[in-house]
Amino acid sequence: MVNSSKRLEAQVIGYVKGIKPHQSSAWRITIIFSILVILIIGTLLFGMYRQLMSEQESQLDQQLAAEKARYQQMALTLDRRSFATQVRTADPKVALIVWRNSVDLIGALSMIPDDMPMLPKKREFPVFAGGSDKLHILTGGLAMTRYGPVLIATRTDQLGTLIDKFSNAAITALMLTIVLTLALGYLFSKTLLRRLVQYNRLSEQIEKGEYSTRLPISWRKDEFDMLAQQFNRVLDTLEGNLAAVRGVTDNIAHDLRTPLSHLRIGLEQLPEKSREALPENCAIITEELDHCLATFDAMLSLTRIEEGQQTLELQELSLQAISRDLFEMAEAITEYNEQSLVLEMEDDYLITGDKYLLFQAIFNLVDNAIKYSPKGAKINIIQKENTLIISDDGIGIPDEEKERVFERLVRLDPSRHYKGTGLGLSMVKAILSRHNASIILSDNHPGLVVTITF
Amino acid sequence: MKILIVEDDSTTIDYVVKGFAEQGYNIETATDGHQGLLLATSMKYDLIILDRMLPQLDGLKVLAALRATGSQTPVLILSALSHVDERVKGLRAGGDDYMTKPFAFSELLVRAEKLMQRGELQPTKTDLVVGPLTMELLTRKVLVDDNELMLQPKEFQLLKYLMEHADQVISRTLLFEAVWDYHFDPRTNVIDVHIAKLRRKLEELGHGELIETVRGAGYRLRQGH
Repeated sequence: MVNSSKRLEAQVIGYVKGIKPHQSSAWRITIIFSILVILIIGTLLFGMYRQLMSEQESQLDQQLAAEKARYQQMALTLDRRSFATQVRTADPKVALIVWRNSVDLIGALSMIPDDMPMLPKKREFPVFAGGSDKLHILTGGLAMTRYGPVLIATRTDQLGTLIDKFSNAAITALMLTIVLTLALGYLFSKTLLRRLVQYNRLSEQIEKGEYSTRLPISWRKDEFDMLAQQFNRVLDTLEGNLAAVRGVTDNIAHDLRTPLSHLRIGLEQLPEKSREALPENCAIITEELDHCLATFDAMLSLTRIEEGQQTLELQELSLQAISRDLFEMAEAITEYNEQSLVLEMEDDYLITGDKYLLFQAIFNLVDNAIKYSPKGAKINIIQKENTLIISDDGIGIPDEEKERVFERLVRLDPSRHYKGTGLGLSMVKAILSRHNASIILSDNHPGLVVTITF
Repeated sequence: MKILIVEDDSTTIDYVVKGFAEQGYNIETATDGHQGLLLATSMKYDLIILDRMLPQLDGLKVLAALRATGSQTPVLILSALSHVDERVKGLRAGGDDYMTKPFAFSELLVRAEKLMQRGELQPTKTDLVVGPLTMELLTRKVLVDDNELMLQPKEFQLLKYLMEHADQVISRTLLFEAVWDYHFDPRTNVIDVHIAKLRRKLEELGHGELIETVRGAGYRLRQGH
């Protein structure tokens, strides 16, 4: 199971590492982006082309219409000869005019093609001319004058050239765009991958157990740096947890070694004991064993409560009732230790909680106060609305240790002179947090004040 | 008195069977859930001791099936799972008491006897008498050789429980449960302190030796010498 998941992990990492730029998501985005750009530019160019064409068309129409009107006017005002002269001397740059004067054609062209429409309708027709570019394209139509039909036409092959040039430019622009976006995209994906590969290399290192490795964070503070930062933070937490687990393991070893070695010695010596001493010795061994078992049980329950696996038996509880129970139970112990225990209560408060767990947690705090206070000490249990304060004037806890005491198996007394599992306060915190209650440790100068707020 | 033990661990079976046999009980055993359920439904027992984790049929399912047949036989659940909610689950499924492994036989015996007595109709006692001690339950007066012993309520309850189980070793957990009604291992000397107080009061009347400390197990109230 573990093996196969490891293998899968290795495969995934290998895959990411061996990925080519063209397989990356950045590349996919580039392609999509390029297609979009091409579509947009294409549409724009096509629109421009249409605009240009219709502009040209209307100019042509206007030009032809103006010429038509001019010649119709001229035919009305001039005689036949003058009209012929006008036609003959017409500026070919403005329009090519051809007029059939009885038999011969007068004008710029030596023929009038068949089926020419009457203006404003027009059509294109080719004309052979001398010179290097022999074929010209003309567009025109017939205009009816007093002296018969006149062909009015104009050269439009420049327009064709313009269109050609325009489309050439458009295609070049498109090609350039494609090449540029793709090239940039490729570079972009390569850069991205380089960073990802870096991350992967790091995760491989972590997998190998180098938990101190951290991702570099650049000055850019981009999304990758944010990711790296988050990743580093996760690593910090993990490293901390690992250290804690290591600490716990060491502490378990220490905590169980002592009773286990006592057990070993006790068992070894058992056969040599006299018949009378046997029950007593067995009892001692049993006690040691019970201590080990209690530590194990506490560890298990703690984990279950912390991870929320333990279902709470919820019921309505009065803080005053709990405080009274606490007092009743603890009073005898303080009497025995020649300490005094005081209970103060003001305004009851009802909470919903697990009676046994909660009592266990709070009793643990009172028990600690008793255990770590000297003879003659005064211990207070103060309940006021939703707060419960347990204070003593014992040895207290130094400020720098106030957080650490809630960690598992942490004991401030390195010799472990006081009896206990070292799990008490972790359990207290876990139970209280399951009840959405807070716990704060503060100084009593001297001693400790524990404030629980529900 | 006939007891059925459904348990798959042979070491535990041997330990329990030996203990009950010494006390003169008639014991039958089953080593898996099916066999246990078969025996429990076909024979009449005064008590069933049921392991929580059994091969074939889980202990809680055996219990549920047994209760579904209408059987009222007291059931004590034995389990290696010590969590509070396991205890609650067991009791909800119809168990009458719950004990976690490992356990001391003395505690199992006390719990088992308590469950079996519940089955019978007991004449309500008004007085408890153990050696020189007399406890009048109605007036809540305790006499030691005709001298009155003044006790606080918790001390009274402690002594009552010890007197009800005279000559038996009572564990701290049992006392804690009986007197304070809290089901957790206090990991503290609260019981010892109360016992010490009680013993001191008895000593003043010349009978401090009545309460014996049994190391590694608990306390015992001696009937005679």
